[in-house]
Amino acid sequence: MIRTAVIGCGSMGTVHADRYKSMPEAELVAVCDIVDKAAEVLGNLVGVSYFISVHEMLEQVKPEVVSIAVPTYLHVPLVRIAADHGAHVICEKPLALTSQEAEEAIRYCSERGVSLFVGHVVRFFPSYRQLAEGIKQLGSDQGGIYHAKRAGSHPGNVQEWFRDPLLSGGVIMDLMIHDIDYIRGAFGEAREVYAFQHQSEDINYASATFRFKNGTIAQLEAFWGYPGSFHSSFEYADAEGIISGGTGDGESLHIRKSITTGSTSGFVETPSGVLLKDPYFLELEHFLSCLISGEEPIVTAQDALEAVRWAEAAQQSAMTHQPVKLEVKEEIE
Amino acid sequence: MSRLNIGMISFAHAHAFDYLASLLHMSEVTVGGIADEVPERTEALAKHHSIPYYADYKELLADANIDAVIICSENVYHGELAIASARAGKHVLCEKPLGLSVEEMQRMILVCSEEGVQLMTAFPCRFLTPVVRAKEALDRGDIGEIIAFKGTNRGSFPGPKWFSDEALSGGGAVLDHTVHVMDLMNWFSGSSVEQVYAYADTLFDPERKRMIDDAGMVHVTFENGVFGVLDPSWSRNPGFPTWGDVTVEIIGTKGVISIDAFNQKNNVYGRVSGKGSRSFWGDDMNELMLKAFVQALIEGVEVPISGIDGLRSTEVALTAYQSVHAGQPVRLNK
Repeated sequence: MIRTAVIGCGSMGTVHADRYKSMPEAELVAVCDIVDKAAEVLGNLVGVSYFISVHEMLEQVKPEVVSIAVPTYLHVPLVRIAADHGAHVICEKPLALTSQEAEEAIRYCSERGVSLFVGHVVRFFPSYRQLAEGIKQLGSDQGGIYHAKRAGSHPGNVQEWFRDPLLSGGVIMDLMIHDIDYIRGAFGEAREVYAFQHQSEDINYASATFRFKNGTIAQLEAFWGYPGSFHSSFEYADAEGIISGGTGDGESLHIRKSITTGSTSGFVETPSGVLLKDPYFLELEHFLSCLISGEEPIVTAQDALEAVRWAEAAQQSAMTHQPVKLEVKEEIE
Repeated sequence: MSRLNIGMISFAHAHAFDYLASLLHMSEVTVGGIADEVPERTEALAKHHSIPYYADYKELLADANIDAVIICSENVYHGELAIASARAGKHVLCEKPLGLSVEEMQRMILVCSEEGVQLMTAFPCRFLTPVVRAKEALDRGDIGEIIAFKGTNRGSFPGPKWFSDEALSGGGAVLDHTVHVMDLMNWFSGSSVEQVYAYADTLFDPERKRMIDDAGMVHVTFENGVFGVLDPSWSRNPGFPTWGDVTVEIIGTKGVISIDAFNQKNNVYGRVSGKGSRSFWGDDMNELMLKAFVQALIEGVEVPISGIDGLRSTEVALTAYQSVHAGQPVRLNK
């Protein structure tokens, strides 16, 4: 049993705590949030002790693994604190707001002998896993055309810090990075990126095209402030075939309840996840198993750093209206 | 004028067969002649419908009864045929892309103007009902100001061989399939493209013999700051349930409009065909386009899509190739 703790008791922290709680190989020992109410609610929900001080929690319960699920601008400072206490770290994506900070986080953990994992959860979605296998099986060595999209309401409506690009990184660094990491995994090295971004109070929309060394052209869209429900989609086409999927292709259960009193809409719809092990569970389970076996995870901290670099390049391209070359950098050791 | 006598010049582009079928249904139209340099393609068809057939288009143009022509030749001949038709006093509906250079298209426009005939570019997508409704919504201000477009005009590799012969086509997918959705973006934005950055490649031939681009991604920036990206690839294979698509998503400051123009369909699963396919039941864009052309000429008003419209979107496709060769964004000549 690996003793785990969660820092940050918001929506992602709740997911981590819940999955650890139901995982036979993990023992959730504590949760922590500087907002005492949030810490208390989650602590009570999952039935573990809760803290408002990270230092206090790390010293008192001495977790072996810490999940970091706090606003992005706090990732690296908390990675350092956890590493200082000798805890392995599972950090939510993006690893950091800048590649410089991300490099620093990797170096810091390495120097202190703790492992660092980053929660690029898209790699753990069964649909995307199959897509990656399908891309290999189709196997056109000329490459193909890839489209991916991720759109939903503005998270700044719920958590104000998302609205400030200096705190969240904006839609490219926070949302598009899912697909950026995914295409890195699926298509390998890229030559360049060309991007557009629009940022206002209500809308943060970005469109970025990555050109890969194998010929693939990947066109990504990320959208905060979409006037509809959250959805994502992908399509890969090459000389051997076409694979597409998306939100609408993953809904195998709808529960619609009639409402008898006080409602004009008449029914409430609850979309339900219908996998025995959801992608977050698979991700955390995989990271813990790598920790035990010493095997390399399917997405490494180095991958997370590269994703931040590519996101930075996309941001730069959007600023300058010019394509930005992507160079392969040395691994951080 | 209450009726229109239309001659058809060349059936190299298969759209000509669809156009002919539509024209034959129109009571105000007489198809006064078919000129096609390949008799096996059309002579019997012309005879079947009792339409005079000419191997040489000049004979068709010599018929003074013909008011207008529809040109569906290989792209490289559009200029020559349109100019000859205008000189013979015929109005012209020309298949896209209008021409293969800006100078050529300017000359086509100029000669038509000199001869007092109208030049229309065949952009049937403007007549897709979802597209028309989207334009109305934009004009009403339903989604505020436009921020960006994402479009696709994915298709299958065209049957006729000349499409992959650059000497006849002038370009591959990036030319053939950029122009339709580019015209829609021009129309929707009410602005002009300032900068183009594009990729073009040959990715979709499993035998790797194709000599022309069949894949690409075209990025445009309009003078008013609107961004657009468009996938013109011939990326649909025979296993796909339909030939291709026309989609445009318009991101606005106060909303989003999503067009998936051919998503008015039944799904058909035949035992013999061994695959699923889509059966389209929406309004017929070709027929609506031809009616608009005929109507404008009969009423003596301007055709709804001009030669300049054809030039503007073709210029973007031509600039896309310049950008591919330069490996950097290219600004359009003013």
